[in-house]
Amino acid sequence: MSFLNKVYQAVFRRTSTFALAVVTGAFFFERGFDQGAEALFRYVNRGKLYEDVKHQFGGAGEEEEE
Amino acid sequence: MISLPKSPLLYAVTQTVANLAKPVGQAVVTQTEKIVVAPQRLVQTSYAMSKLTPTGADRVSVSLCSPAQVRFAHTDVQVPDFSAYRRDGTKDSRASSAPTAAKRQAFTYMFVGGGTMAGAYAAKTVVGEFVSSLSASADVLAMAKIEIKLADIPEGKNMTFKWRGKPLFVRHRTAEEISTEQAVDISQLRHAETDAERVKDPEWLVLLGICTHLGCVPLANAGDYGGYYCPCHGSHYDASGRIRKGPAPLNMEIPEYEFPEEGLLIVG
Repeated sequence: MSFLNKVYQAVFRRTSTFALAVVTGAFFFERGFDQGAEALFRYVNRGKLYEDVKHQFGGAGEEEEE
Repeated sequence: MISLPKSPLLYAVTQTVANLAKPVGQAVVTQTEKIVVAPQRLVQTSYAMSKLTPTGADRVSVSLCSPAQVRFAHTDVQVPDFSAYRRDGTKDSRASSAPTAAKRQAFTYMFVGGGTMAGAYAAKTVVGEFVSSLSASADVLAMAKIEIKLADIPEGKNMTFKWRGKPLFVRHRTAEEISTEQAVDISQLRHAETDAERVKDPEWLVLLGICTHLGCVPLANAGDYGGYYCPCHGSHYDASGRIRKGPAPLNMEIPEYEFPEEGLLIVG
């Protein structure tokens, strides 16, 4: 109760702090969402990814650059 | 006497109120006719409602011995119970809801803020996709050149760059690799090319990292000949990019390139 009260008084009450909270929250939301989606993809495709079969081709030291 | 339409919208209580006239004689209790209110019927359609709604003029006649006044009471009209829709802080109608207002507002704003957050992320993704679709078109990319600082590539290492949408391998060959490749007997090769035909500077091997079999990207520093190995169907290339073993028919392709100055490579 008092926690929600404090949050409301500190963040939600003013539009400026509310917008700031949304923007910073979106930053972390993006990270979490992307990493979660990636983890789900890796879980669904486990055993089929290149990382999983890489060892079959020996120590191929390769560096990437764009 | 009172005549009431048979309507569930009108309720009457049979409460008599003494009129102001003083009794002439001794009060005599008389039996009055009881007001009969029709039992409430369930109204579900507008047609049923229109049949039940009182229309025209209602008449009330008053006599000395009949009730002088009929009060239409609304206290027994049931207020619908909305408690299933109310939040905890507003369920008690006798308690003030002000002290818990911040809690309810914080809850609501949390959902609004969360939705806005997800919306901002979605909008950012859409804009990003749109802007990236405005990048250089295929005809521009086809003319692209790439400039590579050779000092960044240590000896014995193979680096992969993206050039015209394809992987470009730049290999800094060791002296051992150079001598090995130059000593290869060309007559034994499937696609006969000397090492000197394939490199401008023996130290640097520049080639398109696309297997000539079915177009996979070979792995560097792997395979039986210490050059490249295609994991798709097992083609082995040597450190000059020549096919030595496996299904691929040709050596890996060498693009146009030049060394305009010391330590700089321009491909394209």
